[in-house]
Amino acid sequence: MKLTEDLAKSLLRRHGLPVPDGAVAQTAEEAGAIAREYGGAAVVKALIAAGRRGKQGLVAVVDDEQSAARETSRMLGTRAFGNPITKIYVERRATIARELYLSFAFTDQNLRMVICCEGGVDIETTYARNPEKIVVADIDPLRGLKAWDAVGYWADAGLKGQALAAVGRMTASLYDAFVACDAVMMEINPLTLDDDNKPLLVGSMMEIDDSALFRQPWIEAEAVSETSANPREAAVILANRSYPGGESRYTELDGNIGLLVAGGGAGLLQHDMIVELGGKPANHTDVSPAPGTEKLEAILDAIFTNPRSRSLLIGYNYLQMARCDQVAKALRISVDRNRVDPTRFPIVMRVFGPEEKKAREIAASIPGVNYLAPDATLEDGCRMIVELTRQAAE
Amino acid sequence: MSILIDENTRVVVQGITGNQGLFDTKLALAYGVKIVAGVTPGRGGEEVYGVPVFDTMLQAVRNTGANAAVTYVPASRSRNAVFEAIEAGCGIVLATAENMPKHDAVQAVAMSRRADAWLIGFNTNGVISPGKCKLGGIGGNDPDAIYMPGRLGIVSRSGGMSAELAWVLKRSGMGVSTAVSMGGDRTTGRMMHEYLELFENDPETDAMIIYGEPGTDNESKVARAIAEGLIKKPVIAYIAGTFQERYPAGVSFGHVAAMIVNKDDTASAKRSALASAGANVVTTLAAIPDAVRNVL
Repeated sequence: MKLTEDLAKSLLRRHGLPVPDGAVAQTAEEAGAIAREYGGAAVVKALIAAGRRGKQGLVAVVDDEQSAARETSRMLGTRAFGNPITKIYVERRATIARELYLSFAFTDQNLRMVICCEGGVDIETTYARNPEKIVVADIDPLRGLKAWDAVGYWADAGLKGQALAAVGRMTASLYDAFVACDAVMMEINPLTLDDDNKPLLVGSMMEIDDSALFRQPWIEAEAVSETSANPREAAVILANRSYPGGESRYTELDGNIGLLVAGGGAGLLQHDMIVELGGKPANHTDVSPAPGTEKLEAILDAIFTNPRSRSLLIGYNYLQMARCDQVAKALRISVDRNRVDPTRFPIVMRVFGPEEKKAREIAASIPGVNYLAPDATLEDGCRMIVELTRQAAE
Repeated sequence: MSILIDENTRVVVQGITGNQGLFDTKLALAYGVKIVAGVTPGRGGEEVYGVPVFDTMLQAVRNTGANAAVTYVPASRSRNAVFEAIEAGCGIVLATAENMPKHDAVQAVAMSRRADAWLIGFNTNGVISPGKCKLGGIGGNDPDAIYMPGRLGIVSRSGGMSAELAWVLKRSGMGVSTAVSMGGDRTTGRMMHEYLELFENDPETDAMIIYGEPGTDNESKVARAIAEGLIKKPVIAYIAGTFQERYPAGVSFGHVAAMIVNKDDTASAKRSALASAGANVVTTLAAIPDAVRNVL
């Protein structure tokens, strides 16, 4: 979960890290009042969880309360990344003598810090121009990042004197906060120094691990929950929250073949195969086995109510734990609920494993469902659905 | 032989009294696995299907000589379960939890590497040396229907695909020395090439089949290990997920790890890296038996 700037900064502040004063405004008047508190010198930013706002005109540096209000009016109501801007972050303007760059992220097996004495520009740009100025350091997750490690790395990056000591110590505290908050990504750009070499975290982007929200309760309460503008995708996200079991995903695409595929690997394989055969999926799903049929029903409902869907492939890996009859039961319920006629809306099932006999009985009670023979491969299911979808379109 | 586990492996089940622990223990015992102990704090002294339950891993290992652990504890406690298993002296630890907090996962990986232990998972359904031993739910209630003993090694990023690979081999009369579902998360206890290096040194494995996905360095490291001569036995590679390249980067379609991070992580890039290193890259499951016959 990406945090908006106000949340990221309040989180860092709680961990005792130096961030500029700032507050959220929802109207021009509020923005003006906040800027006045800071003596007029402020930065006004659209509050969305995305980087590179400056390039889209969503960041303005202002000198007085009137300009803060004016810039706020200009940004409110415009759209960014498909969503209307409804909140503005007004921040006290920092005295900047120098700009640095710092980020923490994961590699496949480790944690990694990237630092550079040139901040304020994209790290990609610096990398393209002066790769030698960037210091990359892997961090042992058991040992963590000690202040003396950080001082050493910043010295390698070219920092000296008082600035080196201050930034090095602060970097170790920042790493501790990164771990304590279960962040998966943190980018501080710029990390600024004032004339007295005091560091300040001016640009702060943070993403929190969704799998760790259970131990970061305040983040869940404050952050905006994930949702989708697409009502069917939103319904599946809601079903994930409402019912037990692993997370299932449903993403709509521009084709016409509905996919209910599991697990993750078989989903990739079947999607590849359908595309190779000239078919176009209407959606991609990834289903985790869950108790009950409600979550599966939610996904099937989404597929059946997607106006682009013309057919459905239920392609499962050879099930080793989950029960086949649960899948058939969910199909029966959703077909009835959405009045689907499988003689016109082709449905192919490739679901083998425990309780397969019961599943076949239930499927047989839905006229028109094609339940593949026990030796059919995942690829056979793909071939059949592409062919039936083509025929149905004729 | 086989890799990681065989008929001499003595298994301890962490979380044996929970639903999944009970369920898998019953099936594993039926398969003939030597489950010598279970652990659930506060339940020491009880028995589960005749298996003695202990309060701590240390007690379990000291009393039974267990050398491999399977953990069925929830994600929120899995890091500590792995730490405990390793401190108790288990050289093999299979961790099944899905949705692991990422900081916990890298800490568990670092801990197991430091102790020279072999952590399998997270998000794995298990490892099986057919006819000898299995850890985890792999094979379900009838492992023989899918996993036949033989001389091919399988390393898969997906538990379900491990089954599909073994099944397609079995139908062509080919069996498996060991099949590993290494875990579908970005961070796994060991990387794919490390398993292949174990197979390389196993006299009872003739060739290896890998299943890979977009995201992570796993497959590119396999390509490097083949190119550097660390892996000389034939490798047949199936890499799924080329369709993702038709959609915007950053959209995840499968396992958490199957997110395209950069252009070297795509299925196509992995296929070509493996092919140029000398692996036999196939694009359908049906092509695998012939590919095996061709290289042996």
